[in-house]
Amino acid sequence: MDKDTLRRLELLNQLSLTEEQKSEMYSFFDRRENDLSELSSIDTENTERMVHVLPILTVVREDKIVQNFDRESLQAGAPETDEGYWCVPRVVE
Amino acid sequence: MRYETVIGLEVHCELATDSKIFCSCSAHSYGAEPNTHVCPACCGMPGMLPIVNKRVVDYGMKAGLMLNCHINRVTTFDKKSYYYPDLPSAYQTTQWFAPVAVNGLVEIETSEGKKGIRIKQIHMEEDAGKLVHDIREDTTHVDFNRTSVPLIEIVSQPDLSSAEEVEAYLERLKALLRYARVAECEMAHGTMRCDVNLSVRPEGSDKLGVRTEMKNMNSIEAIKRAIEYETARHIDAIENGTEVLVQETRRWDDIKGKSYAMRSKETAGDYRYFPDPNVMPVVIDDEWFDSIQASLPEFPEVKREKYTTELGLSDYDAEQIAKSIALCECFEDAYSVCGNAKDAANWMISEVMSNLNARQMTYDMLTLDGKALGELISLVSGNKVGRANAKKILNAMFDDAAVVPSKYAEENGFIISNDTGLMDKVIKTMVEADPKAVADYKGGKEKAIMAIYGKCMKELRGNCDPQMLRTKLIEYINSL
Ligand SMILES: [Zn+2]
Repeated sequence: MDKDTLRRLELLNQLSLTEEQKSEMYSFFDRRENDLSELSSIDTENTERMVHVLPILTVVREDKIVQNFDRESLQAGAPETDEGYWCVPRVVE
Repeated sequence: MRYETVIGLEVHCELATDSKIFCSCSAHSYGAEPNTHVCPACCGMPGMLPIVNKRVVDYGMKAGLMLNCHINRVTTFDKKSYYYPDLPSAYQTTQWFAPVAVNGLVEIETSEGKKGIRIKQIHMEEDAGKLVHDIREDTTHVDFNRTSVPLIEIVSQPDLSSAEEVEAYLERLKALLRYARVAECEMAHGTMRCDVNLSVRPEGSDKLGVRTEMKNMNSIEAIKRAIEYETARHIDAIENGTEVLVQETRRWDDIKGKSYAMRSKETAGDYRYFPDPNVMPVVIDDEWFDSIQASLPEFPEVKREKYTTELGLSDYDAEQIAKSIALCECFEDAYSVCGNAKDAANWMISEVMSNLNARQMTYDMLTLDGKALGELISLVSGNKVGRANAKKILNAMFDDAAVVPSKYAEENGFIISNDTGLMDKVIKTMVEADPKAVADYKGGKEKAIMAIYGKCMKELRGNCDPQMLRTKLIEYINSL
């Protein structure tokens, strides 16, 4: 994990990390990198892709409308709302 | 040097389901108050589990089969991560590793002839929410009503080479998806949106040029103008070195007629696709697959051909009816009952279509029972109900699906009686009431009896054979 890669990850996740958090990240990713290189040493050439870890397939529901949540309770924990909208820092100039 | 334009399209179509793709909220919130069609799942609250709407998979399969695709019998959902406030969970659930349909082919026809456009894949995914920037200056307002509305994205190979072909391709997608009743595909309603990928290369070259992408185009006219502008811009850059082309996303300003580079984010395009562990893989077994295959409609051109060659309709009539699968189904049902294709077509084109227009309904919204229409047509052709009264019955059938034509005709006194005694009596009364018209008629003004004819018809409430009334009226006046 180098400085540029970490900077890029920060941007992708809209985070701004402190120097302390950054140094934690370096050691975290170094450990993960070891794990990953171990995994990639396994020959998976003829192995079918595993689609899911659980043996549960095709969980579907019928196309029926059920509306049982009100806006007020959904927005109860929001830092700011206005006229029924959630408010976020402005994203266009 | 001559150049050719190489175009690939990514077309998003909103699926015509009732509820959203991963939760039971209504998928139709046009004009609704903000955030009234939402729940913890489509608001991205922690701990919520998405459950796939089966009809979305049905429609994804139908779209795939209509576009000659191979259907992946095991289809899976993946997370596409990007951080923007219209996406509450900071990822879109879409399909990347095993989309529902792949490797299709769509045939288009332009002034240059027929051409096959290859489809790379069709994937199912959720729409994002809506951001509103003009309520207050300091914030962006977020509405999640549209979040998780089901979409399919149809990705073509770069097989298109002109604005004309793009238009033909989009029209073809719209026709086929509407026939299968999976999507409305109306750009003006936002139910079809289009990303255009374009590059330019010397004619005959097999190397692709630098590709630019224009996102979220929402009218065919704008797309055509954008393609012409971008093609000219690319050629100018290649020939005259006016600028260095870079692979980028551009915004099309249709009012100014120009495209602009969007501030290229350092992070653009890095979506880190990852299998979504919360959505179980969907396995399409034979029974499911076969039921979808059996439900597919004939293609529009097959309908037209059948109507002209087998049923003897004119090209024009066949064309009109084949415009919508709802019209086709109504017409075919009506014909199966009344047995006269030309009559059934006339009723469809004159009366049914004008009723829809008067009600500001699209052809696809027709729900009229075709078999009942066939019964009504039989009543008219069998001289049991007059045409004017038949129109009233049709109107009632539009208002109330439960109306049975023969029953309604009886209840409202619309059945033509063979009571010639009554007809004679009415003729006598009306003739005596208008001696001037009779004198005019006898003096050579043949049209003068039309006034008396109209009054007789009115008095009889339309319940008589028009030809018989006319003959009897003339006979009576001549006998005076
Ligand atoms: Zn919801």
